[in-house]
Amino acid sequence: MATVASRAGAPRARGRALSTVSSRTSGRVLTTALVLVLGVFILGPLLWLGVRAFATGWTYPSLGPDGWTMHWWQAVFDDPNLVSSAVLSFKLAFVTMAVSALVCLPAAYAFARFDFPGRRFFLIGLFATNAFPKMGLFVALASLFYTLGLMSTFIGVVIIHLMGTVVFMTWIPAAAFAAVPRAYEEAARDAGAGRFTVLRTVTLPLALPGILVALIMSFLASFDEAQGTYLVGSPDYVTMPTQMYSLVLNYPPQVAAVFSILLSIPSALLLLLVRKHVMGGQLAEGFQIR
Amino acid sequence: MRRSPVVAAALLAPLALTLASCSSGSSSAGTAGGGTSVIVAASGDTNVQELWQQTLIPDFEKAHPGTKVTLTFDLHGNNDQQNFARLAAATQQKKDPGVDLVASFTDKAASAGLLAEVGSKVPSLASVDPKVVAAGGAGAIPYRASSVLLAYDSAKVPAPPKTLADLLTWIKAHPGRFTYNSPKSGGSGQAFVVSVLDSHTATADRDQMTTGYHKDLEKDWAPGWAQLASLNADVFQKGVYPNGNNQVLQLLSSGQIDMAPVWSDQFISGQAAGTIPATMKAQQIADPTFTGGAAYVGVTEASKHQDLAFQVADFMLQPDEQAKIAEKIAGYPAISMSRMSSQIQQKFAAAAANTLRPGYNPDHASDINNLWDQNVPGK
Amino acid sequence: MRPTPTQSTLKHRLGGLALASPPLLLVTIFVGFPIVVAVAYSLGHTGGPNATVSLIAKDQVTVDAWWKQSPGAYGVLLRDERFRRDLLVTVLVSLATTAIVLVLAWVIALYVRLTDTWVSRLLSALAVIPMFIPVVIASWVILTFYASDGFVRTVADQLGFTAPVWGYTTTAVVIGLVWTQLPFATLMVVSGVQGVPDALIEAGRDAGGSIPRVVWSVVAPMALVPTVIAGTFTAIGTLGSFTVPYFTGPNAPKMLGVDMNDYFQSYNLPQSSVVMAVVVFVVASGFGAVYVWANYRSSASTGRV
Repeated sequence: MATVASRAGAPRARGRALSTVSSRTSGRVLTTALVLVLGVFILGPLLWLGVRAFATGWTYPSLGPDGWTMHWWQAVFDDPNLVSSAVLSFKLAFVTMAVSALVCLPAAYAFARFDFPGRRFFLIGLFATNAFPKMGLFVALASLFYTLGLMSTFIGVVIIHLMGTVVFMTWIPAAAFAAVPRAYEEAARDAGAGRFTVLRTVTLPLALPGILVALIMSFLASFDEAQGTYLVGSPDYVTMPTQMYSLVLNYPPQVAAVFSILLSIPSALLLLLVRKHVMGGQLAEGFQIR
Repeated sequence: MRRSPVVAAALLAPLALTLASCSSGSSSAGTAGGGTSVIVAASGDTNVQELWQQTLIPDFEKAHPGTKVTLTFDLHGNNDQQNFARLAAATQQKKDPGVDLVASFTDKAASAGLLAEVGSKVPSLASVDPKVVAAGGAGAIPYRASSVLLAYDSAKVPAPPKTLADLLTWIKAHPGRFTYNSPKSGGSGQAFVVSVLDSHTATADRDQMTTGYHKDLEKDWAPGWAQLASLNADVFQKGVYPNGNNQVLQLLSSGQIDMAPVWSDQFISGQAAGTIPATMKAQQIADPTFTGGAAYVGVTEASKHQDLAFQVADFMLQPDEQAKIAEKIAGYPAISMSRMSSQIQQKFAAAAANTLRPGYNPDHASDINNLWDQNVPGK
Repeated sequence: MRPTPTQSTLKHRLGGLALASPPLLLVTIFVGFPIVVAVAYSLGHTGGPNATVSLIAKDQVTVDAWWKQSPGAYGVLLRDERFRRDLLVTVLVSLATTAIVLVLAWVIALYVRLTDTWVSRLLSALAVIPMFIPVVIASWVILTFYASDGFVRTVADQLGFTAPVWGYTTTAVVIGLVWTQLPFATLMVVSGVQGVPDALIEAGRDAGGSIPRVVWSVVAPMALVPTVIAGTFTAIGTLGSFTVPYFTGPNAPKMLGVDMNDYFQSYNLPQSSVVMAVVVFVVASGFGAVYVWANYRSSASTGRV
């Protein structure tokens, strides 16, 4: 519908006429209440565990820990498994992101610009296959990977992670490409630019915010992937989520707290860096069927 | 549009890392040549992991220089089924299964015929009780045992129950102060469930169900299920059964419950490490006792390093190593007590180590997991 | 925006198909094929790729010829009262989570759209935070917060009353699922609501409409499709979820994600586990159909189709 028009109007002057919402006292009270409730709901659990990372022990029902210490941090860094699994997770996430971009972006471009037979069917099919619970696919996957010689290989694990990112990397960039006005491309073509030059200088830069959002979603999807990775990757490739399962179930809660903080820091940095792009309209645009 | 440096970095970084990891990934496969390295796959709790990493493996490598033993450990046995699926698929397709000695899901592997026949390759096996060896299945080699005990806070429970009947009375008299983990998630909870079931099952039937699979005999369990369901209202948080041995230990240590079934080795190690308070004590109950069990290793049929793997198994059954196992994780030795030092014999006298009551056949065990889930929570 | 028809030569169209093929091929091989094998297993085919798991599986329904299908495994499970109960709970939890998430997302979206203060920025930033926390950590964090010695109970105790324990209850599962699903839904609804031009809203206000009226008649219809998207994604995502219910949920009733894992790992009944996966897939497809319908409806109304 008015996608291009609304995007062009983007950093809009927010309804100044509607700022009366926040100026009335009842509005103020409601607003404060909402912020408090949401704050506690979202941040509360994170902080509650975060403080534990520095606690010697914690007896109910005190509001604070029994004492403060850094020795849990020592314990985590001393454990070679924990650090290596975290490093592997990051490595895998980046590699998955790159491979996914390589494999899916051309397809995204094709979905956006070419009208080939079965286009919509394939688009929906990509999405539909992800709805099947992975648990039911384990054994079939194991046999398949053995037949193909992919068991316990880095490539095998990357493929598993890749499967979780295909939807993000095709749908969202497809919408981003589709939203690039053909007029610009045609103008560049008329000016004499070759196909790839047009792609590089006109299409890609304009579609970049959408692609960036897709990259981030792929990164996060890979980061969270646990069970398929275990099936294919062990014993050589143990990632952070698998390690986390054991951590929270088998170590004192303080160790889990330390690990959680360590893992959330990079994610938080990522969030800060790309907040602007993520908060834009890319995500919604990406999931409409065209 | 202004090219943001962030964007550029985000696009270049993956490329750099891809190149870096492609080169490092291929070298991590390890030197699998010849018969000088084996991979051991184990699962369980952290104390078992430490046993392997800090005692068994270094000792073996020192006694057999030039060999390398790698451990892959699955905490909590969460992924046993996946590991089993891989092993089975590899064995079928005659490929390298990636593990030479399994120290987890050996029961499943044994019944599926995935373990190599022992024959005479493990001479030390002669000093292990043949019943215990047979209980593990074809190709299984026992290397340690432990039993489930009743742990309680001696400060709050001055007179702990001595029999199962007393325990059940205590639970009803102290609502919310007892729990056990769901059978599927840990052996301590499973042992409690098994003991309740056994108190209503005829011995002859029970013996049959220990060595073989007789589904028709499972109807004997009906009164046991009813009794367990009747405990719901008096168990922690009106019917919460945590997932895992460790969760229960944490509840006990933090004072949220006063009594629970626990693994002997976990309890003793926990007290030694200080994570379980000194006021906690553990004892066996009678009529019936909680079950115990041996832990087994097995050499995989598809392994390319069978001889070395058998050597590792044999090494573990030497009295010195058995003594270390007994000491490090408070596990009971698998070999006959008479071969151990008098110190060890004394230590385990009270627990009647070598007459541990065995658990059910593995197929019955998985039925117990299922039937418990069906008949107890939420009833 | 549909591709323009000027370049629809056969070569061009096939070229498009070729470009699009890598991910399609990968998904077909590594997801599509296993799905077919799994469905075949649920219908009784225990040979071939399913031989491995059938080795020691118990209580399997089998067929003896490749063209025969047997719904036996489905019958067994559907007659099981425990499965029916868990299926019901899973669907209800899914719907409840979706409803709560959508309400929260809309509240935040309206704040962001109608005002431009630090409050709206703070709200939208808060809502997005959970997206960057790995789901295992999130589950653990929710459990410790609402457990019997968690924050809620501690504060209540300090204030002198006893708060209910939500750890290990279905309530905690819903809370956990809302927590993890909120970011995506908020982003969708926020951007959908952004797409409503200022001019329309102001016109509605000038015509004398109150804010709720304007929201209902102007903003909501235009943001319908992103809302439906957010709803269906949340519903589908929570249907098969495992981590959150495993950590925070009760022993009974369980979500189907946990059940699938238990049947496979602990009870040695992999065929039932796969049957459950198929059932979840069918329900998820039902939700997905709503999404496809909403898209076509909006495309039809705007002349795109």
